[in-house]
Amino acid sequence: MKKIKVNFILNDTEITDEVPVNITLLEYLREYLNLTGTKEGCSKGECGACTVIIDGNTINSCLMLMPEVNGKKIQTIEGLSKDDLTTLQKSLIEEGAFQCGFCASGMIMSLTNLLSKIKNPDLIEIRESISGNLCRCTGYKKIIDSVKNYINILSENKMK
Amino acid sequence: MKDFEYFIPKNLDELFEILKILGKNKKFLAGGTDLLVRLKDNLIKEDNIVDIKNLYELNGIKEKEDEIEIGSLTTFTEIIESDLLNKYSPLLIEAVKRIGSPQIRNKGTIGGNICNASPAGDSIPPLFCLDAKLFLLSGKESRTVNIEDFFIGPGKTILRDDEILAKIIIKKMKDNEYGFFNKLGQRNALTIAIASSCTKIIKTNGKVDDIKISLGSVAPTVVRAKNVEDRIKNLSQYKKDEILKICNELEKDINPITDVRGSREYRIEVSKYLIFESLNYLLNIRG
Repeated sequence: MKKIKVNFILNDTEITDEVPVNITLLEYLREYLNLTGTKEGCSKGECGACTVIIDGNTINSCLMLMPEVNGKKIQTIEGLSKDDLTTLQKSLIEEGAFQCGFCASGMIMSLTNLLSKIKNPDLIEIRESISGNLCRCTGYKKIIDSVKNYINILSENKMK
Repeated sequence: MKDFEYFIPKNLDELFEILKILGKNKKFLAGGTDLLVRLKDNLIKEDNIVDIKNLYELNGIKEKEDEIEIGSLTTFTEIIESDLLNKYSPLLIEAVKRIGSPQIRNKGTIGGNICNASPAGDSIPPLFCLDAKLFLLSGKESRTVNIEDFFIGPGKTILRDDEILAKIIIKKMKDNEYGFFNKLGQRNALTIAIASSCTKIIKTNGKVDDIKISLGSVAPTVVRAKNVEDRIKNLSQYKKDEILKICNELEKDINPITDVRGSREYRIEVSKYLIFESLNYLLNIRG
């Protein structure tokens, strides 16, 4: 098996490792680092369960070869906050946005990335941001409602 | 996933040295959104992957008088966010917005979409309408070809083993040029076209001076509907019945297959409708 040396930042920690050239970032996260928050769904870039944020953009980690991560800054669901859940995650729980939870990590990564770029997204922007994330349980409405809820919480906090 | 040798050339000189040694036995890795799926399905017989992402010469969107140059490594997201392309090439933007999902558009490149040579490549029909030229580079020489001459069949192009697609050159759209892109898939996001169409007209005093219509997923490559174009150009009035009649003759221009996404017959009927919808939007159809 051919190996390659890679150096990258994962959830604010620098990692240097020698990895096989033919494994994906998703396989590496789950099987080498035991970071199983990122899910494997279709493994073809269609379901979005494996979504992570790389250099400020969401990508499907199932479609990224390990040699490609060299020099990149990666954020996974495990790296969103150190101790507590984020306000967005709390809003999703509040709203009962997920049922089986398999799409949750990917959805949260896509929504987190949206909210880091657009503070007050409209309905079209919210829907567009999760158009690459499949949910088979709750039908998206509660997920979208919780983003609106999140925006309300933020503006209420500002008023206080 | 199969085992392969991985190359990541630091510059063009290094790239062409590698290409000389590898010959046919290599696949380029740009965005990888298609390559990775095919690697996993064991559809890649080549033993070497050449990652071209470090070649900065293949990046960037530049304005050149009446043309715009798009580096082959430009991602779909970069295209959608480009002020230059939004101003001068809204037709390309409309089509690219319909590709895959945000995650796919963040990684997939326009050069990859072209070189895959899929008849369903969504960026290709607008490039046909925008008179795109492709700048192909090898260690020894360069050549510029019209995009319509680039494709030979599904997955097949005229790109030689020692060549790379470096940039795509399109004409700026002028004030009297109007375009329309439409695509039918099974759903809105992440869908491979059952059929797609792109139309660009040049209008003077309400009359069509020139028209280009291209269609995806209805022939071995993206194709122009030249018969329909000629018929439209010769019209003096744009009446609904007449336009419908012309759209019904689209069968002369296309040759779709039956596959998992749709039958030949369905594709023909749907394409006629796509073209009619475009013309209805672009021409002031009466009656």
